[in-house]
Amino acid sequence: MSLEFSDKTKKTIDKIIARYPQKEAALLPVLHVIQKEFGQISEEEEILAASLLGISQVKVREVVSFYTMFNRKAVGKYHIQVCSNLTCTLMGAANILNFIEEKLGIKPGETTSDKRFTLSTVECLGACEQAPSMMVNFDYHGHLDKEKINEILDNLE
Amino acid sequence: MMKIYIDDREVHVEKGMTVFKAAENAGIEIPHLCYHPAFPPEGTCRMCLVEIEGLPKLELACSTQVKDGMKVHTKSEKVVEARKGVLEFLLAEHPMDCPICDQAGDCKLQDYYEEYGLFENNFSESKERREKKIRLGKHLIHDNERCVLCRRCVRFLREVVGTGEMGVFERGIATEVNILDGMPIDNNYSGNLAQLCPVGAITDTDFRFQTRSWFLEKGEAICPLCSRGCNIFIEHHRGFSRFDLPKRVYRISARENAEINSYWICDIGRYGYYSLDENRAEKIIANNNISIKNYEAVLAFFTEKIKRLLYKKKTSRITLLLNTFLTNEELFLLKKIFQDDLGIKNIFFIDPPAGESDAILLTSDRTPNKKGAEELGFEITPFELGNLADETEVLIIFGNYIAEIFSLSDIQAYFDRIKDTFLFTPHRSELDSKVGIMFPTAMTPEKGGSLTNVDGKIQKFSPVLEAPGDGKAEWKILAELGTKLDVNFKYYKKFLSPEEIFRQMQKEIPFFEK
Repeated sequence: MSLEFSDKTKKTIDKIIARYPQKEAALLPVLHVIQKEFGQISEEEEILAASLLGISQVKVREVVSFYTMFNRKAVGKYHIQVCSNLTCTLMGAANILNFIEEKLGIKPGETTSDKRFTLSTVECLGACEQAPSMMVNFDYHGHLDKEKINEILDNLE
Repeated sequence: MMKIYIDDREVHVEKGMTVFKAAENAGIEIPHLCYHPAFPPEGTCRMCLVEIEGLPKLELACSTQVKDGMKVHTKSEKVVEARKGVLEFLLAEHPMDCPICDQAGDCKLQDYYEEYGLFENNFSESKERREKKIRLGKHLIHDNERCVLCRRCVRFLREVVGTGEMGVFERGIATEVNILDGMPIDNNYSGNLAQLCPVGAITDTDFRFQTRSWFLEKGEAICPLCSRGCNIFIEHHRGFSRFDLPKRVYRISARENAEINSYWICDIGRYGYYSLDENRAEKIIANNNISIKNYEAVLAFFTEKIKRLLYKKKTSRITLLLNTFLTNEELFLLKKIFQDDLGIKNIFFIDPPAGESDAILLTSDRTPNKKGAEELGFEITPFELGNLADETEVLIIFGNYIAEIFSLSDIQAYFDRIKDTFLFTPHRSELDSKVGIMFPTAMTPEKGGSLTNVDGKIQKFSPVLEAPGDGKAEWKILAELGTKLDVNFKYYKKFLSPEEIFRQMQKEIPFFEK
C-alpha cells in the first residue's frame, strides 16, 4: 500500500520544497507535514519523504531518529512528554513520571489501549524555570505536582 | 606562502591549508581517528586538539586553517592533558575486548592509549551493552560497542561509492552507525570499510579470528585482477608459525597511490587472494611416456623441440598462446624469442573473459597487462580453436584460460592433432593430463617485473612471496630459453633480473623510456 496525500497537503509540500535552493534542505518541514497527515513517521513515511526529496531513506532515518518530535510509531490522541533532564529530575520529575505511569497504567513509550494517551520521556523541554515540566501535545505545563496533573489530564476532552 | 610555527619549528604553508596538513607535511604526527585525507574534515573524534597561541581554547587541527605567523603546539601540557580526557571519554564506552579483536595491533585507539592514556578507569557505572554482531554485508560485521562514531564508513559510502547504505541513527548515548533493516551493503567496494575503520568496529568475516595482525608481513604488490593496477599490500605469514598454516596469505589491503587507486581497492582484488594458495601447480607433470623430473630437463627437452623445427626451417609449425597476466618483461622476451628470432606468426592471446567495469576503479579486463602487450607491439588476436591449424607441431600455452573458454572435449580433439604441447601455468586444471608437459609457474606476486595499466602507467614490483614447489617465474624460463636456443646467446645472457630486461626494453621501445 502506498501512501496518498490530500491535494491540499500536496500543495503545501510543493510550496515548502520551492523555498529551498536544494530539495534535501526541506526535509524537516516536510517531515512535519507528513507526520501531521499520517500521525507517525514509520518506514512507509520515511520512504515517501525520501522519494519526495530525492534522497536516500537512510538520510531520512538519521533525521527522524535524531529528533524526538517525530513519532516513529503512531501516538494516542494526547502525547504526554515528561522531561527527565537534570533540572526537572532535581525538582522531582521521577515522582511525576511514576504518578502518570500509575494513573494511566502505561510505561514510557506505550499507548493506552483506548489510544487516548501516549507517554514518553524527553531530554529537556527548555522549560527549566517551571520544572518539573511536561508537554501534552503542543501545550506546556510546569510546576507540576499530583493535583495539577490530575487536573490537566482529567480536563482533556 | 606563509610561515607558521609548529612546536617551535618554522613551517612553510599554503593559504587555506589546515593545521593538521601543515603538521603532517612537516613530519609532526597529530593523533586522530575521524580525520581521513580522502574526506573533508569531520571533527567528531576530538583527538586532534592543538594549542594555538592567542586563542583561549584548544582547536581542532583537522579543521582549523593556518594563519600567517600562527604558533601551534601539538605536545604542550594542556594538549596532552586534553587528549587524555578525550581518550578517557572514548574509552568510557569501549568494550576493551582487544584480546579477541581483529584490529588489535593495527588499532589507533590502542596506540593512543599507550601514548597518551595509561589511566585507570574512573567510571564506576557499567558500560552500555550494544549489538556486537551486526551483519552489514557479505564480508562485514559491525560491533556497535567498539565503534567510536568517527563516521568514516558513512562518509566513504556516500562520497566515494555513492551508495550511502550506512547512516548515523538515534542520538546521545544511543547514537549508532548502522544500515537499515534488510538493506545490506552490497557493492564492490565494501571491503574498504574494514580497512578504513580506525578501531575494530567493522571487521572482515574473511579475516575475523584467523590470525593476529602482528604475525603478518605486509608486502607491497600490484593487484593483477584487472587493468587498473591498484597498489596493494599482501599480508602474509612469514617465518612464524607454530602450526601448519592452512594458507600463506591472510589479507589483501589497499596501498595508497594518489594517481591510481587513491586509498581504495575493489572487493574483486581484496578477496581474490585465494588463488595464491589454492589449487596451485607445484610439480612438473609429464605425460605421453615422457620421463622428465626436473626443471633443467624440461627446459632442455623444450629447447630441443623448438631447435629441431628451427634447423628444419619449420618454425611456422609452432603456435603460441599467451595471456596478459604476463609482465612487460615476459611479453618482451616472448616477442624477442618467438616473433623476432624464430619468426613465428601464430601468436594468440587467451585471457579470462572480460567482466563488468565501474566508474570507480574496476576495468572490464580481468588481467593486468593488456596495455603493456599492445605497447610491445602484440596484436591481441582473440583465439579460436580453429586457429590451431593442422600444421601446428609444437603448441606452447601460457596459462590455462583455454579451459575456461572451450570445452575440454573440443580442446582434446585439437590437442590430438598436435605432436608436442607445453603448458606453463600456476594452477592445476584438467589440461594437466591433456598436454605433453605441464610446468608450474609463479603468480604475479611471486615474481618481479612491471605491468602497464589501462592508462599506460608502468608500475614495477618485486616478489612478495615465493612460488610453491618447482614453480618458476616465466621471465626466468624465457631468459634461459633465449640463451639455449643459440640464436642470439649474448643478447639473452645478460637478463639475470627483470630490471635488466626492462633496461633493454627501454632501449628498444620508446614507450618504456619514460
